[in-house]
Amino acid sequence: MPNARVLRDIKARNIVKANEILRRAYLYVARNETLSPQVRHQAQLQLNTFGKYTHPTTVKNRCTESGRGRGIISEFALCRYQFRLKALKLELPGVRKASW
Amino acid sequence: MAAAAAAIRPMRLASLTLTRSSVFKTAYNPTSARTGAKYLRARLRGPSMVKYYTPEANIAQLIRQWPELEMINLAEDERLQDVEDKKKRGKGAPKKAKEKGDSRRASRRR
Repeated sequence: MPNARVLRDIKARNIVKANEILRRAYLYVARNETLSPQVRHQAQLQLNTFGKYTHPTTVKNRCTESGRGRGIISEFALCRYQFRLKALKLELPGVRKASW
Repeated sequence: MAAAAAAIRPMRLASLTLTRSSVFKTAYNPTSARTGAKYLRARLRGPSMVKYYTPEANIAQLIRQWPELEMINLAEDERLQDVEDKKKRGKGAPKKAKEKGDSRRASRRR
């Protein structure tokens, strides 16, 4: 069972996906300078009504093993400690401890 | 080269860009006005976002789905056993209040 922060992140990801197309449409209208200011303003007001988790920026890449939020090595989606553990167990293809 | 470009009239340059955009099927936007096209052009990020974590099997859900297999959820059984043990030692959860006055919160000292 992943920890609560990971569960929240999964929830945010699903909500972002569900609202992405609608949000893009409103963004297009709101940022389009060729449309009338009234229409753009209405679109911006609509954008403001979207919930917190519909913004793609609320999604955070967390460690897929431990759920840690900082020190993530994004290529492996692992935090630095889990990366070290897995690398030492040779579970990451092409990763070896440096020695010379 | 610079002198030659300066000699061309701006109107001819504008017509050149108009023709170019019609030939290559690009948007003709000589004043560089913000049309919001970049929000439509950008790829959708949701589908890849959802795939970040590998999905974990929900044991309770699987058991509910196939009751005929008579699977047991060891972790859940252990938790229920712990709750029973705690109740025996008088460490269980407090009784729910029937009315508002019964609630522990009401009698709490501030």
